Amino acid sequence: MSENEKQDRALLLQADFDQELDAAGAMKAERLLAGDAFARGDRERLDALRRTLRRHAAREAAPETLRTRLLAQMESSNGRGRIAADFRRPAPPSWRIYAGSIAATIVVTLGLQHLVEDLAAPDRFMSYVVAGHMRSQISGQPVDVASSDQHTVKPWLASKLPLAVTVVDLAAEGFPLVGARIDIVGATPVPTLVYKHREHLVSVAELQLRSVNYPEVPALRMIEGYPVVVWKEKHRTYAAISDLPPAELEAFVVAFRRAASKIESAPARN
Amino acid sequence: MPHLDDAYSLARWLTGNATDAEDVVQDACLRALASLESAEVAHPRAWLMAITRNAAFTWLAKNRPRDLVLAGGAEDAEIYDGASPHCDEPSPESALIEAADRSSVEAAIAALPLPFREALVMREVNGLSYREIADATGAPIGTVMSRLARARALLIDRLGRGSL
Repeated sequence: MSENEKQDRALLLQADFDQELDAAGAMKAERLLAGDAFARGDRERLDALRRTLRRHAAREAAPETLRTRLLAQMESSNGRGRIAADFRRPAPPSWRIYAGSIAATIVVTLGLQHLVEDLAAPDRFMSYVVAGHMRSQISGQPVDVASSDQHTVKPWLASKLPLAVTVVDLAAEGFPLVGARIDIVGATPVPTLVYKHREHLVSVAELQLRSVNYPEVPALRMIEGYPVVVWKEKHRTYAAISDLPPAELEAFVVAFRRAASKIESAPARN
Repeated sequence: MPHLDDAYSLARWLTGNATDAEDVVQDACLRALASLESAEVAHPRAWLMAITRNAAFTWLAKNRPRDLVLAGGAEDAEIYDGASPHCDEPSPESALIEAADRSSVEAAIAALPLPFREALVMREVNGLSYREIADATGAPIGTVMSRLARARALLIDRLGRGSL
């Protein structure tokens, strides 16, 4: 028997011992064992070794301390990244750690404050929108250009602001156009359309300000007792405010959006 | 935490002691946790074994680089000696092998070159199949089989000669 054949035979018998063979292979191994006393001796030794290993090198349960340590680690790494990677050898906390954590806290707090301000931008700007609407009611002069004709209002706005404002006529829906004015939101002039419903006015400010926090779908909230609906279109953000009941303001927003989307998607006309 | 006992046992025999095994398993679990987010795991046990094995190798490279040098030599031994050594001496008595005590078993396993040791531990301690061992170690099945045969032959040889 060549050296190679011997090897293959040994591996076949080992695979049989490890129960890795299919039926055909197992039968072959069985035949080898039946006809070869050396092979049977090898098998006996393998069995003996396995019994010895079972006795002295069995699979062990992980210690309870390790288990609890891992659980604690996983919990903390869920919440805070992998900060806990090093508590296998806890060092006594020194003043450096405290100083470092205080500094980190300051940095994080300042950063957060900045972030929160940005995120809260809609709320910050909403007060300007509300103020603009209130002032327009008190002054008795809600519009700078008074016209129910969108083809008058739109050019007027275009002459004041470098913007293509979408002006829609909602007379058929019960919200005739009154005109437009320019409000100052933050430090930015924004076009505000004014519509009328019964004796109530609706102001719609088109905001150019960017913030991640504007809702994609119209969201109603009450500010200073006024219902305000804020929503985002593809290129613009709107805030509508009125002293109408909230449900009627929402109906207005639905009508406004429907008409505006018709204009935005219509083929070029004016 | 499923399969923790398997991971611990593997680390225990690869590093040779319980304290080091805890460090290795802790490291392995961190790695496993980190990669869980990016990958889907088809065979969790073999997967955790592979990670534990790699963590153990990293640990050994850092703390006991000499063991890994031996591992390189083992591959040569494999090529030289073939799968199962057939020496002229009579094969040891199986009764002697069974009579081996715990400390000589520990010493015999610790003396195995690393590639042999990991194949043996995965098979005999963890009960992995050849295929799973091949996946965990990245070696072809044929290599796994011959390593296993070598490891067993070395253990039988050493334990079968009693306390010599």
